[in-house]
Amino acid sequence: MIDDRIAAQRIAAELEEPVEEAGNLAEKLGLTAYPVNYWIVDYDEMNELIAYGGFQDRYPHWRWGMQYDRQQKQGQFLGGKAFEIVNNDNPAHAFLQESNSMADQKAVITHVEAHSDFFANNEWFGLFTDRETAPGERSEVHPLEGPDAAGMLARHAETIREIMADPDVDRAEVEKWIDHVLCLEDNIDQHVPYEPVEPEAEAAELDTADVDEQLDELDLSEEVRRQVFDEEWIDSQGEGDGPVSFPDEPQKDVIGFLLKHGKQYDDDAEKAVEMTDWQREILEILRREAYYFAPQKMTKVMNEGWASYWESVMMVDEGFAGDDEFVTYADHMSRVLGSGGLNPYKLGLELWQYIENSENRREVVERLLRVEGIAWRNFHETVDFEAIQATLEPPAWLVDVPGHLDDIDPEDPRVDADGLAAARDGEFDVEAYPWKVLTYEGLCERHYSLVRPQNRGFLARVSPEELERVSRYMFDDERYDSVDAALADVEYTRGWDRMREIRQSHNDVTFIDAFLTQEFVDDNDYFTYEYAHKSGDYRVSSTDYEDVKKKLMLQFTNFGKPTVVVEDGNFDNAGELLLAHQYNGVALDIGQAKETLKRVFELWGRPVNLLTIVKEYDEHDLEVARRRDREPEATEVGKRIRYDGEAVTITDVPWEAVEHLAATDVDYDTTPEEWLA
Amino acid sequence: MGLRDDLERYREVGEQRRQDLAEFIQYGDLGRSRADSVQIPIKIIDLPEFAYDQRDQGGVGQGEGAEEGDPVGQPEPGDGDEDGDPGEESGDHEYYEMDPEEFAQELDEQLGLDLDPKGKKVIEEKEGDFTDITRTGPSSTLDFERLFKEGLKRKMAMDFDEEYVREALKIDGWGPATVYEWARGENIPVSRAWIEDTYADIPSEERASYPDQEAFEDAVEMESTAKRIRREGVDQIPFRREDERYRYPEIVEEREKNVVVVNIRDVSGSMRQKKRELVERTFTPLDWYLTGKYDNAEFVYIAHDAEAWQVEREEFFGIRSGGGTRISSAYELAAQILEEQYPWSEWNRYVFAAGDSENSSNDTEDHVIPMMEEIPANLHAYVETQPSGNAINATHAEEVERHFRGADNVAVAYVTGPDDVVDAIYEILSTEEDDS
Repeated sequence: MIDDRIAAQRIAAELEEPVEEAGNLAEKLGLTAYPVNYWIVDYDEMNELIAYGGFQDRYPHWRWGMQYDRQQKQGQFLGGKAFEIVNNDNPAHAFLQESNSMADQKAVITHVEAHSDFFANNEWFGLFTDRETAPGERSEVHPLEGPDAAGMLARHAETIREIMADPDVDRAEVEKWIDHVLCLEDNIDQHVPYEPVEPEAEAAELDTADVDEQLDELDLSEEVRRQVFDEEWIDSQGEGDGPVSFPDEPQKDVIGFLLKHGKQYDDDAEKAVEMTDWQREILEILRREAYYFAPQKMTKVMNEGWASYWESVMMVDEGFAGDDEFVTYADHMSRVLGSGGLNPYKLGLELWQYIENSENRREVVERLLRVEGIAWRNFHETVDFEAIQATLEPPAWLVDVPGHLDDIDPEDPRVDADGLAAARDGEFDVEAYPWKVLTYEGLCERHYSLVRPQNRGFLARVSPEELERVSRYMFDDERYDSVDAALADVEYTRGWDRMREIRQSHNDVTFIDAFLTQEFVDDNDYFTYEYAHKSGDYRVSSTDYEDVKKKLMLQFTNFGKPTVVVEDGNFDNAGELLLAHQYNGVALDIGQAKETLKRVFELWGRPVNLLTIVKEYDEHDLEVARRRDREPEATEVGKRIRYDGEAVTITDVPWEAVEHLAATDVDYDTTPEEWLA
Repeated sequence: MGLRDDLERYREVGEQRRQDLAEFIQYGDLGRSRADSVQIPIKIIDLPEFAYDQRDQGGVGQGEGAEEGDPVGQPEPGDGDEDGDPGEESGDHEYYEMDPEEFAQELDEQLGLDLDPKGKKVIEEKEGDFTDITRTGPSSTLDFERLFKEGLKRKMAMDFDEEYVREALKIDGWGPATVYEWARGENIPVSRAWIEDTYADIPSEERASYPDQEAFEDAVEMESTAKRIRREGVDQIPFRREDERYRYPEIVEEREKNVVVVNIRDVSGSMRQKKRELVERTFTPLDWYLTGKYDNAEFVYIAHDAEAWQVEREEFFGIRSGGGTRISSAYELAAQILEEQYPWSEWNRYVFAAGDSENSSNDTEDHVIPMMEEIPANLHAYVETQPSGNAINATHAEEVERHFRGADNVAVAYVTGPDDVVDAIYEILSTEEDDS
């Protein structure tokens, strides 16, 4: 134990400098992160943290155990390395694994700084923290602003532990209740700020109770009571005139709705009864946690890409990894990015790099189109891309700061005069931290994307369409008399500036929608696939960017889950719950939907229904399609799935009942026309 | 630590959801498991949620040169279930790890089997409890209790009512010879010498105290030894050297429960994919089961067409060759291997053969059956895998079954599809159970 602590302390001491300098560098690069507290943990602790979603204290539940188990097994295959974990909090907490190499530690630190910047700036995260505006500079990050996540989750854990410890409450019941709610974890309205739900005392309920009481006082025979004052009559007494439907507008926050109007089903009484206090409390706790974690799920691609991007700038371009550490770092990167399938890290990183390049290209193109004699029509013939590329190269002193320390002009806007003076006085090792001599502008030019070897052809690849589009909105198109004059005005900061704007306002869906282009899809070899009935497997269906975009949007819209809303809390005027699946052309997993409905029943206490649209294939069509080697055409049919506490029934409903659910403007199907029968 | 609890709870939840073993054997993915660890899928460990139909969802991939129409493989590995309601089985499969012991125990429970493995080869002799005894030894191990009891028994056996016999000598006309004869008749353990000595001590005036035997019997009654000891106490126990016993530790023979399983498979041309799979499905759980039951399990894999050769497990289920079929070739090889490496005195032997029952003419009757009788084994089994029912000339299984009907160490099972596998396994394993 003592040895462990000493080891941890030694590592902590070694890491002090990298942590501090990574923070400084991030700030220089324009990032405005929450402060980050770093913790040194061992392998087991790391696995625990990962299981708990990055926090130390969560409510008791088996799924943490499952994640821990999974994590451990994964560790066995990946050599027991868990790389990065940082939680969205102010200050953010990041965890470094004792056994990581120095290169890995530095990679984690740089990565974490960028995540923390994302947490602090992205508006979707602001929904939970009630943040008015994003901080302009790091110093503006308010110390009291933030989700108070660690504290909140620990309080939740404490509350649930207390409930479980209550001798009047069956622990197994609590666990089951948590399970039920977790099934609806993603059924919240993640696009609006989180607000606690106050369960309302339903007036109608009270009235009904009164009528009941009065009837009791009348002392009628059971016979009469059943004949005359049946439940329907009683209900109608409570509600005034006509059936009452609510909510007025379909409600996406299903958990919130259940919290407000739901009941529990009492097995002994065989009817719905009010939820207990602890049940409501757990609903609210889990709902709050769902809202807290939602922004992370909504920005996975952006956020991971953002962190990978800045990690790479700091580690590779700024030499934050020492020469001896670079190989392990490169190895680590290739492992993280190369892990197969659709990788959000990779997609995100590629998109950010693409945005950086296209924004910088646009800047250059806009300058060049203002040169006399250059127009979008003759652009490719007139412009000497090689020469431009050479002109855009940063000057030698920007590339090799230590070698030119004596020649650098402190008045240059790209130079940090204080930093330069300090470097000249030998206050820090300029070989290790050349960036301390430079300003943000200096760093932008030093790391200008268009001159990188891997981006060499990017400028020349600008399409005539884009050129035309740019020139269409340009007024003084004869401002420069030479290319050099135009290039002298190029704003090197434009790429990074734009990237920060985007990280502030977008989420994965809008990000992909706005920035995924044919050029990007071609450059990075993306394609879509669909299930082919004729061959019984998945086949590449398209490499068109519109299709790739559609499929990606499907994967990231609403956490990649179908949108299910509460349509009626008094369905059939019988107090049944009616949920509706807003159909976008992709059918529900009916098996799972049935199981989920059973859980919803537990939270509603009365029968629950789900309207949906399914695709049906006619046997004959299937056969014909198979013979012609074509895909069969599906018929879309409305269905209502109902669970009454005992059995699930599925009934056909007329198209009119589901028509409003069928989206006409979106179609996520990318099956090529010619596949169809 | 809270997480320990969570992990514990997860294991409990997982345990409840473990795929039913029989279902796993019939349809599960056996390939994931290794010889020392059986991986049983756990059903739907994740909570249900509103989700898209995976098949309808399609997706996005990344790769150079993708052309429309190229197959992309199963995008979500792990869910091999192609037919049926997608929802019921969806979600990632987790795997519950069982070691073969647990597997065997579980199978015993589910199928109601109770195979008791026999110990064979003596691997160790060790000292057990001090329950054996010997006539010599260090005095600390002397079994004094036994010595005392033996002495007591001896005393009781030698003891007699001296007073009574002395009185008998006082009967008028009875001399030592008569009394001795009488005492013998009465089963009184008295020696002639004692009688003579005692007679000599009796004053002559007393030698006719009783006129006759009747008067003596009226006057004196014999007292039993037990009664006398109770009255007088045991004054002296005659400890004898011959009664000494020394405790000695029992020698326990540890017999290792060794098993060798010979898996024989027909690999000839007629054994197509489906038949091969059925063999694998039947043999693999048998292997696990026996591995779990015995301390030490070894496996011999023999592939044969008209010839037989020994192969490694990895190749065993995949091999295909052309050629005809002569099942006896495999038994010849099996006999040879067993004889050389796995003597019957030391090894439990299981010889499992599988094929589609096709054999060259008369081979079954003339060669295979005699060899099955000749090779000593706990169990011989033949598994016929014939997905399409019976082929006309495929009679090996029937011939074997007919010949060995009622034998307790030969089992024949028919497998036409995965549904039959569990029954076949039961048939095979329960045959041996009858024997024990």
